[in-house]
Amino acid sequence: MAPISIRGLTKRYGNVLAVNNLSLEAIQGEILGFLGLNGAGKTTTIRILLDLLRPSSGNAFILGHDCQRDGLQARANIGYLPGEMGIYSDLTGREVLDLLAGLSGHVINVSRRRELQERLEFPESDLRRRLREYSTGMKRKLGLIQAFQSDPLLLILDEPTEGLDPLMQESFYKLLVDAKQHGRTVFMSSHVLSEVERVCDRIALVRKGELVLLSSMEELHKLAARTVRVLFSEDVPSPRSWKLKVEGPLGPLLQTIATLPVHDIEIEEPKLEDVILKYYRGGHQ
Amino acid sequence: MRSAAFLFAYSLKRVRTLILTTGLLLAGLQLVLIFVAGSIQSSGGFDQLAALIPPFARQLLGPSVVTFMSFSGIVCLGYFELAVMGALIALAVTLATVPASEVEIGIMDLILARPLARHWIITRTVVLTTLVSAFMLALMVAGTWVGLELFAPAGIAWPSSKLINSLAINLGMLTLCWGGVAMAIGAASSRRSVAGGAAGLLALATFLLDYVARLWQPAEKIAWLSPFRYYNPFDLITGNTLPYRNLLVLGSIALAGFAAAYALFARRDISH
Repeated sequence: MAPISIRGLTKRYGNVLAVNNLSLEAIQGEILGFLGLNGAGKTTTIRILLDLLRPSSGNAFILGHDCQRDGLQARANIGYLPGEMGIYSDLTGREVLDLLAGLSGHVINVSRRRELQERLEFPESDLRRRLREYSTGMKRKLGLIQAFQSDPLLLILDEPTEGLDPLMQESFYKLLVDAKQHGRTVFMSSHVLSEVERVCDRIALVRKGELVLLSSMEELHKLAARTVRVLFSEDVPSPRSWKLKVEGPLGPLLQTIATLPVHDIEIEEPKLEDVILKYYRGGHQ
Repeated sequence: MRSAAFLFAYSLKRVRTLILTTGLLLAGLQLVLIFVAGSIQSSGGFDQLAALIPPFARQLLGPSVVTFMSFSGIVCLGYFELAVMGALIALAVTLATVPASEVEIGIMDLILARPLARHWIITRTVVLTTLVSAFMLALMVAGTWVGLELFAPAGIAWPSSKLINSLAINLGMLTLCWGGVAMAIGAASSRRSVAGGAAGLLALATFLLDYVARLWQPAEKIAWLSPFRYYNPFDLITGNTLPYRNLLVLGSIALAGFAAAYALFARRDISH
């Protein structure tokens, strides 16, 4: 049973198509990056999964439960981090965590919460402070704790590292890896390509509401062109230095230059950014 | 169900200061009114005040004005004084638009991302608005009886408990009616200010309609549209029994508002 299954999902606001016939599946135990420019339909898709928005057509399923018809079951085992943590600013951090755990119907797992606090460097004294005194980063950390605290089977995270400093981003990545090792599935939207490249197993890329790419990171690297610089010891070929973009295996190139007086060869790893930016711009067509 | 109970407890906790402050102010106002009425009564002021009203004004305003110029009349004033009615309706509107406020702030995203059915949001709001309205009226009634015990001059006739209860019930239903209207508007809105403002403006417009219709005959034809038409404190003070039709109309508007709120909130997109 797929943790997330989206079939022909469309969301229309009047004449505007926010999501257009989107279909994708998450695999259990993977970290699926959900990428796209602002307004591409990432948050709309996430909100449909949570039944905050109703689709114009199509279906979305979480752990086999229809997000709209069987929403309670669908949301019974998820941790959600919204893009913006909208919450009453007069509440303390602890009150927020207790409230959200209580609404989940889960018994508060104190040791789990403490572990998350430690890993995200969020001391008890901060939990006693009111949210109006929190910085953006502290709110984000609190959001992560509330999403992870019930150890859900599926984590839906909307721009999770927005506002986190580099050290906290590291801690967050470790949390993701741990969650994955425990068989949890993570569905996260992100703008940060380096983060996606580092933690995600697969990416789903949306543009103007449509899925334009669904690929594993390995496959994605194959799509990217490598830059090969060849320096010759003599002026036999002209010019003496070549800079080549190579898509696919390097074998044919190496065979070609094998007979030439190669002085040095430098292969630059493909950049994920190049591929993704190409898809963002629609250049893949 | 456990999540819903948790939501209700949390919501009650959030508004407890507002409820207690408003309740104590309203109950306190009853004490002040009775103290003032007792002072006027002791100094024989009611007879002098009644004598000041010219005959044509008595004829125009009817016997209720004379009844109002009495100890009992001033005691009952706390149930139809504009500020009291305004405070109760404002409180009901505030509570009824809690869902709109939660959507606006964004906490609704986190609430509904939990395994909690949407109807609980409205059920919580209906229960909260109804309980708080009843509690406010109960405090006012308690304030009235405490005030009478403390400040009523000896030998003066107190208003009957039937009259006080009738006023309280009718006013409570009027409050609930506006709670229902505000809830219906709030269930479809993403801004509390918009929902509360719309409900408040509607209340003001219908209050003025009722007021104008009492003075200007042509407006009488559409005055039935105003919920305030179904709250006639002067009729009750002059000894008439509480018309059940009034309660039925106000209760029906409240129920229609609640039903509309359930339907609208169930279907809407939650976006802020």
